[in-house]
Amino acid sequence: MREIVRRAIRARPELTAELLQRGMFGPEEKAELLPLLSKAASLKGGIIGPVRFATLLAEGDAQLAARAVLRKMLGKDELAWLDRLLRFQKPNGKRDELARIVERAMEGRTGNVRSR
Amino acid sequence: MSAVAEVQAPGKVLINSVVKNLTALAARAFAKRWIITFTAPTGVGKTTAIGYMDQSLAFEHLVIPAKQITTRYTMLKAMGLAPGEKWSNHGRNWMRASDLYERVVERVRERPPLLIVDESDRLRMDCLDMLRDLWDDVRLPMLLVGNEILTEKINASHERLSRRIRVRFDHRPLREAELRKCLEFMGYEVADDEFALLWKLVGGSPGFAEALLENANEIAASQGVKRGIEALEGAVKYFPTVRK
Repeated sequence: MREIVRRAIRARPELTAELLQRGMFGPEEKAELLPLLSKAASLKGGIIGPVRFATLLAEGDAQLAARAVLRKMLGKDELAWLDRLLRFQKPNGKRDELARIVERAMEGRTGNVRSR
Repeated sequence: MSAVAEVQAPGKVLINSVVKNLTALAARAFAKRWIITFTAPTGVGKTTAIGYMDQSLAFEHLVIPAKQITTRYTMLKAMGLAPGEKWSNHGRNWMRASDLYERVVERVRERPPLLIVDESDRLRMDCLDMLRDLWDDVRLPMLLVGNEILTEKINASHERLSRRIRVRFDHRPLREAELRKCLEFMGYEVADDEFALLWKLVGGSPGFAEALLENANEIAASQGVKRGIEALEGAVKYFPTVRK
């Protein structure tokens, strides 16, 4: 199983459903992911506002969130909220890398991020 | 004057203890050419207060919001170049940090501004070292604003900078009445049971309370109802770190 699929399955169902809807996963990843998702998760793609989406990303798996940002799955509002919510958390390596990616995305820069 | 467009003064700001204390410290740092640190928990309203100060301070000042991507070079650029200014020097289209540093020193000698660094707990070691150099060379007055980590960071790894700090102001979280007033000012109608839960979870942090309330608003809206205690409790589930 691909790493990103494993992470998507472990994430909260509404987040995975939202990311699926927004088209973050490629066809092969989708083929792996869909049979493993619970019915509830695949049906949960209802209304999810910008703050809730940003919260799910901030409090969830940092690598999943990083991929969502790098693949431009977030709007301006959502990025701003994600940036804000990350500041509430205690600093650690993963959080700092994600914050760096978000800051770069807010400045319109994407791509590989290297801090060292 | 803001060095980066991102720092904007909010239209209306509640003049609470954070704003008053920060403004008073800024004036003192500028007048005496001191280094002052202001620390307070996350979400208390430091950035909002700085946005307000940026518009209202009557003396020369420069606000730099520190980020994860802030480097010595980006700080010097913000201090040494006018907004939008590009630099070319003898065929080079960029400057070394040392060139920029000299330019900043010259500028400060002519007209020293107060340097306000928001979220300075996020500054890298070399950036903090550079700030110490600037104070040693030209007595650049500065107000370093951040959360509790700032004090720990400076004490642990920047003894020389630490010795040059004249005032260390540690602001407490807002009190219950202040938080309620702040939320009302922000336009939230919060019922007593909601407020009790918020206070228990986030203490005196209107920023964190706002994040919870906005989540609760979205949950309630998705169910087509008005926000209530159930929606707020639902929102708390999205913050596993708060629940602990």
